Order: sequence, then structure tokens, then C-alpha cells
Amino acid sequence: MANGEREPMPAEMIGSASVYSLEELCQTCHVEVAWISELVEQGIIEPEGRSPSEWRFSSLSVVLAAKAKRFDRDLGLNPAGIALVFDLLNEIERLHARLNVLASARSSLAEQPDERPPLP
Amino acid sequence: MEFKDYYKILGVERNATEDDIKRAYRKLARKFHPDVNKEDGAEAKFKEIGEANDVLSDPEKRAAYDQLGKDYKSGQEFRPPPDWDAGFEFSGRPGAGDFSDFFESIFGGARAERHHGRTHTTFRTRGEDHHAKILIDLQDALEGATRTITLRVPELDEGGHVLVRDKNLTVQIPKGVTEGQSIRLKGQGSPGMGGGPAGDLYLEIRFKPDQRYRVVGKDLYLDLPVAPWEAALGASVKMPTPGGAIMLKVPPGSAHGRELRVRGRGIPATPPGDLYAVLKIVWPPATNEKARQIYEEMAKELAFDPRASLGV
Repeated sequence: MANGEREPMPAEMIGSASVYSLEELCQTCHVEVAWISELVEQGIIEPEGRSPSEWRFSSLSVVLAAKAKRFDRDLGLNPAGIALVFDLLNEIERLHARLNVLASARSSLAEQPDERPPLP
Repeated sequence: MEFKDYYKILGVERNATEDDIKRAYRKLARKFHPDVNKEDGAEAKFKEIGEANDVLSDPEKRAAYDQLGKDYKSGQEFRPPPDWDAGFEFSGRPGAGDFSDFFESIFGGARAERHHGRTHTTFRTRGEDHHAKILIDLQDALEGATRTITLRVPELDEGGHVLVRDKNLTVQIPKGVTEGQSIRLKGQGSPGMGGGPAGDLYLEIRFKPDQRYRVVGKDLYLDLPVAPWEAALGASVKMPTPGGAIMLKVPPGSAHGRELRVRGRGIPATPPGDLYAVLKIVWPPATNEKARQIYEEMAKELAFDPRASLGV
């Protein structure tokens, strides 16, 4: 478990390669099969394969399922609620990034201090 | 050790009902959940709320806390009296182990007993995965980098007590990671049981704010200052990119804020992101005779009303 300071440990990029079976995903996330099925039904995670026995999940599914589990455990959200939260969080993230770009372009327009005549 | 006022943390009165506490906790938990709130300190706040709720939502623990805490104020130096917990019985919460020293000093012993009962298992199971966040420079994602990170890991000692230990990991961050993406370190989660393999460690990537580029997904945005005549007449201007300076063609008649795309010069993911130059028109100041003369000429010669659309 120890990792010396000198030898860096390669980190794998989380990809879309589908490697986990349904049982493996359940085991790695410590959740039940029925719960994963609900996440799939809501489109939160998208396995390859048609039936549960053929499903193959990517490592991204592990991250998403773990995050979904935290929302379930900490906030008592059901899968439909979690799906909505995921969508809204993604949208907020996108808007924030966009706002960042716009805010900077805007600030360059307003470099001169406002001159406002005193109100009568 | 400081005394923690769990009522104050949840913002409820000392005589709050179970429902009041549940409501207050849910409200704060939604606000400070680290998957929702990206601000620094949200995670610490969330843990504090969770700890307060763990105590106050459990009638046994709450009674013990009330008895113990009646003479203390928040932040006051706290020392638990010896054998104070005789007569109370606690049932721990599995999966915890990240509570404050203050909590451990009161409820720690009881939680550890529970762990004793749980360690005997004949199953061969894979260890649990761990999930954490890591803050890196944009440069690390552009070029790849080796970074040492420190994680706080709860562990059980021989006596069954939960200890939080710092664990250093030297990690090779792959080139081309984007914000919000996770990377995986194989076998760096919890050890497996009964000879099972260890779990993995997942790190969610966050970028520190960059001085020059702003990041949107795998695309980068750069403010590019141009002179009014460059924007009006078109020009080839030098601009920096993560891979070195290039010449960018500014089309004639470009307005302030126009975004020009440089394909493939964003974060080197597969496929790579793009780099956008956001034009920022900068006017030379009329501080010398020559400049003033040119501005005056423009005022005279150009039929230009910048406020035409305002109808005044």
C-alpha cells in the first residue's frame, strides 16, 4: 500500500471502455443490483448490452454510481431526483464556465470608472 | 479540544424536536454537500453537519451529549470526565470514521466495539473504492505531470479505534484530463478481505484558476487585445497558445468580444479541445498631440453615431 515518493504511480484516465459486469459494479460500489437497474432506467449510467446479464459498464459508471450513492445516502434522493440533480449540476457547471468567459470580456469594457452625476 | 455546540451547528434550539433537527440537517446537507457546493470548506462544513446530526438525531447520543454539554459553550476548552459514559449504550453508524476528535472522545469507544464484531468474515471480497478530489494546475493537464497528494484515511488500530492517518501518494497525472473527469489509481482503495483484491482510488480533477486561459470543458478561452484598426481592417496578430505562439488572422470588421477558434489547441484530450481567442479592442489613449489630432480628425470625418440605436 505504501508508495515511495520517488516512483510515481500511473493514473488511468477514466474512459468509456466497458469492462465491469453488473455484479462487479455492484460489488465495487457496495450497492444492490436493483438500485443499479434503477440508475440505468433513469439514464444516469449507460451500459453496453441489451439485458442485465449482458450489461457492461465503463469506469465512468463507477464514478457516477458512487456519486449517485452519496446523494442517496446523504440527502435521501431517489434515482429520479438524482438524475435531475445530475442534469442541473452539469448545466450549472456549463453556465459557470461560460459566465467566466463573458465576465472577463465585459470587465475589459468597463475599465473606466463610472461617472454618475449626482441625483438632483 | 474545543467543545462543539451541535445545536448551534444545525441552527436549532436546545429543545428542538426530532423533526426540527431532521429538517435543519436536510436543508444544510443540501446546501453544503461537496458534490453540489464547489466552494472551499464545503466538505468540512458538511462533515460537521453530519456529525451534529449523527448525535442529535439519535436519542441515546443526544441525551448523553445534553448531560455532558450543559455546562459548556461552543469553542470552550473541553475535557471529557472519566467514565462519564457509564449507563449509556451507543450503536455506531457503519461507514463513518471521519468525525472530529471531539466526537471520537465522546462516542469513539462505542463505535470501535461494533467494528470488532464486523471483522470476522470468511468471504473473499474486494476492498472498497475510495473517491477524492484533487486540485491541479491547467498546465498539468496540458502537459501531464507528477504530483504528490495527501489523503486523510481512516484506519483501525489494534484496539479497534479509528485513527485518521495522512497518506502520501505520488501520482502521474495523464496529459489531457479535463475538469470534472476522474482518474483511477488501481489498488489504492481499501484492502480486500479474505485475500480479495484491494479497491481502487478515484480522483476527481479540479483546476486551479489559470491566469491566462479560462476552461470550458476541453476548450480554452483567451482574451486577445487588438487595436481598433486591426479589428476594423483585419490583421495577422501574434497570440500565445499552450503549444507556443501562433499568428492568428483577425477578419476585417471584427467586433469587441468576437470569438475566433483555433482548432485543436485546447486541452489535448481525444479528440482535443479548441482554443478560442476573445477579441478585446483596446484604444490608444489620447495623451499626446499626435493621438489627439487623429481622434479629432476621426470625429470630424467619420459620420459615426455610437448611440444611434438608442433613438436620442
